[in-house]
Amino acid sequence: MTNHCCGPGYASPAEAMTAPREKLLYTIAIYTGTGIQKPDYLCTIDVDPESPTYSQVISRLQMPGIGDELHHSGWNACSSCHGDASMERKYLIVPGVRSSNLHIVDCGTDPRNPTLFKVIDGAEIKARTNLSAPHTVHCLGSDIIVSMLGDAQGNAPGGYLQLSKEFEIVGRWENSMGSIKFGYDFWYQPRHNVMVSSEWAAPNTFMPGFDLEEVGHLKYGREIHFWDFEKKEPKHTFYLGEDGLIPLEVRFHHNPDSSHGFVGAALSANIIHWWKDAAGDWQWEKIIDVGNEPHPEWPIPIPGVISVILLSMDDRYLYLCNWLHGDIRQYDISDPHNAKLTGQVWMGGLLGHAPEVNGVKVTGGPQMIQLSLDGKRLYVTTSLFSTWDNQFYPEIRTNGGCMLMVNCDTENGGMEIDPLFVVDFGKEPNGPSRCHETRYPGGDCTSDIWA
Amino acid sequence: MTNFTITLANQGGAAFDVDRRKPLLQSLREQGVDLPYGCKYGGCITCAAKIISGKVDQKAQRALNNRQINNGYIILCVARPMSDCTLEVGVESHDKLYRNPFLDPLAAHELKADIATPLEDKK
Repeated sequence: MTNHCCGPGYASPAEAMTAPREKLLYTIAIYTGTGIQKPDYLCTIDVDPESPTYSQVISRLQMPGIGDELHHSGWNACSSCHGDASMERKYLIVPGVRSSNLHIVDCGTDPRNPTLFKVIDGAEIKARTNLSAPHTVHCLGSDIIVSMLGDAQGNAPGGYLQLSKEFEIVGRWENSMGSIKFGYDFWYQPRHNVMVSSEWAAPNTFMPGFDLEEVGHLKYGREIHFWDFEKKEPKHTFYLGEDGLIPLEVRFHHNPDSSHGFVGAALSANIIHWWKDAAGDWQWEKIIDVGNEPHPEWPIPIPGVISVILLSMDDRYLYLCNWLHGDIRQYDISDPHNAKLTGQVWMGGLLGHAPEVNGVKVTGGPQMIQLSLDGKRLYVTTSLFSTWDNQFYPEIRTNGGCMLMVNCDTENGGMEIDPLFVVDFGKEPNGPSRCHETRYPGGDCTSDIWA
Repeated sequence: MTNFTITLANQGGAAFDVDRRKPLLQSLREQGVDLPYGCKYGGCITCAAKIISGKVDQKAQRALNNRQINNGYIILCVARPMSDCTLEVGVESHDKLYRNPFLDPLAAHELKADIATPLEDKK
């Protein structure tokens, strides 16, 4: 390690890229909505190719209750605390989006066998902050904020829950939600004093499943919001319209000096790029447009549904998943105004291009992805959200989800599914489960922000 | 009378005496029935069950669209019984709960209650 101080993370994105290869992954797996009456759990997966248990789940940490629907997760500390020797990347905050419980998991004491350190009860969060449905977790140098998609009754827009570094509820982080209609993901870029947030829908709208017809009734988001990060209030909103239906995952460049960022509009299947121009004004444009695909027997063409995007640590490649089509794409965004398609692989999806990969029937499509710090290995899971899985991929109930790995060519571009790596969640001990977001113990390409 | 009998058709016809003032999920779980649930405020559909006979009050639910209601679905975490009821519970009862919206669109009257267009009364 080349760290000169003792805080967590890395001095820069370039230093993060030279970190040792990841040997463990933490991936959430759910039983909520599957018919199996067991708690959701956090899996530890061995990704050390030298290990006899490579490509296997080596431990499982069950949550205390059922019905949480674990979804996303985040570290207590990241590179934003690199200069603070008192901080340590030790705890993973794992929210239950349906229960609103926040599980604080100790991954540091024994990284191969995480243990439950604390649970912040969803009922307490609702009572003290009138917030529910936790989603994205980011640390802010010491405190932690969590985007909460609803009020205590599941109505939009929700707000932001602030936790202290001791995992005590501080209260609402934001001073105002302005005229924001919905919440979802967020990312901040401190050197520009900006946070960008995106919009899914009210929990009462998206949790029961996806009624496409509700998009036309403005029940789903189509705006992104630029916040004054220090004042903790939204300052500017971009109406993306038909180009930006359901803007979900938000990614700034890792380079802390850059103002460029991107959001994937899931239903429009577009990538929206924003930046600050020479006059200091924020601008946006559409840089990628994935066309809808007709289905021979369905009345409505199938959109890609870009459920996730991710940037490599050097900000050169953008990856996206079309969850309903079944492909993962790699674009060279060295010029962020001109994305060039450099790689594409298929797994699952509704178009039937790759029903089986590495001997496993892929039920669902490529969904959450996590990229190694060096940019060479992309881990992919197939489940989106229990009720939406049940609508589009009902066989996932018996087949479960799976995790695959894609080898990425960082020199010339290009992607290839690794033929030796597959984790079949259809064969879990308690029955078929569904895998979702992944984190690495040493930080990853969606966890760390540089102040 | 403060209690009703709830019969679970897909659990061997097991019958439970429940308090009409309590949500069905709570009453049934207190009597040892292992049921799925999520949000516990009527917004997330995880606990949906199908009503075969009887009536419930589920005004507090926000999760179901009108097609799902017409297909007999109720949200156990907020539904209170208004009569003896026979239910199918768990995901075995979810055969008509989920639909692919690109294959099978909803008609205007089948949306959730707050945005549905009522069918015109036939005069």
